[in-house]
Amino acid sequence: MSRLYLYGVTRPREIAERLVDQGITLVEADGRAAIVSEVEEGPVEATRRNLLAHADVVEQLHEEAVVLPARFGHVLESREEVFELLALPEIERLLQQHEGRCELALKGSYEESVLAEVGAELQPLRDAYRAEPSVEAGIALGEAVGQELAERRARDESLVLDALGPLVLDAVVTEPAGELGAFDLALLVERDRVEPVEARLEELGARLSPPLHFKLVGPLPPYSFVRLGLPAVA
Amino acid sequence: MTRAPRSSGLADVLEILLDRGLVIDAYVRVSLVGIELLTVDLRVVIASVDTYLRFAEAVNRLDLRASDDSRSVPDLFEEGGEELAETKTKGAVEGGMDAIKEKIGLGGRGGDDDDDEERSGSRSRGSGNDR
Repeated sequence: MSRLYLYGVTRPREIAERLVDQGITLVEADGRAAIVSEVEEGPVEATRRNLLAHADVVEQLHEEAVVLPARFGHVLESREEVFELLALPEIERLLQQHEGRCELALKGSYEESVLAEVGAELQPLRDAYRAEPSVEAGIALGEAVGQELAERRARDESLVLDALGPLVLDAVVTEPAGELGAFDLALLVERDRVEPVEARLEELGARLSPPLHFKLVGPLPPYSFVRLGLPAVA
Repeated sequence: MTRAPRSSGLADVLEILLDRGLVIDAYVRVSLVGIELLTVDLRVVIASVDTYLRFAEAVNRLDLRASDDSRSVPDLFEEGGEELAETKTKGAVEGGMDAIKEKIGLGGRGGDDDDDEERSGSRSRGSGNDR
């Protein structure tokens, strides 16, 4: 009996030759389809190749129609389990909810010069550090810079969310990675609103840059907006 | 603004695929290896002494540049701070990459897996059940 790796759930349709050649198939039932491929025994590891393959499959299929991307690592032990999954009312509800929508991943990051800007208010600590660059003085100054930077982050994140306003249906806010990360946002938008979102961000970017830069990725499948409210089963 | 239509590298997909997406573990068996550690490793902890010292050094350096003052910052301290930070970051990144080694292949394009081979001797930290 073959085990099936689950990429996500979509609507039944023809899939690209390229994906068929790579062993991707749709298991269909009642207007819903699981995107799967056969896997060997053993755990599916979070390798670079496997992660990129997963993203490639769900993102390619999402270009044409709604896809609910599965979290990496789901293996179904049989086709019966696939049909069980497809029969869940939550799956149909999410497919309908995400019809015509997509996720945009928006990350903001600062140039190092932001430190000079936020440090401008900290003259006494800077003087103390320059006069005697001890570890203690460095920590005192750096900690104060860190606090100023945290305020700057919060301010810029609000500016972005306010500027996008009702174009964004839902947002998931994550702590930015890295010392100079500004914000990390997952935005749920209608597919036909992607261009207006880009335009607003361009405007805002022109005002805030430097030192703030945006990176926008998408339209992506709704990775951050497909939480299932399922009962926990031991 | 940097613009990309799709996820284009490991950095883009890593957290999204390990932390988000449909979770159906109530109904199916889930096989995940070493993933918790991996995501933890990728977040840089801001509130560290290393970070504060680097911030202080940067503020001082940028300030000196702006005021065209003399560049008498003690080099020893400056380099010491950066070295410490670099070691730490490198450790974290490699920890993550160790866990990202080739094992079995799924479908899809899968991007470049050129440098998976050279890491195949390493073990993912904390996941004792590699097969």
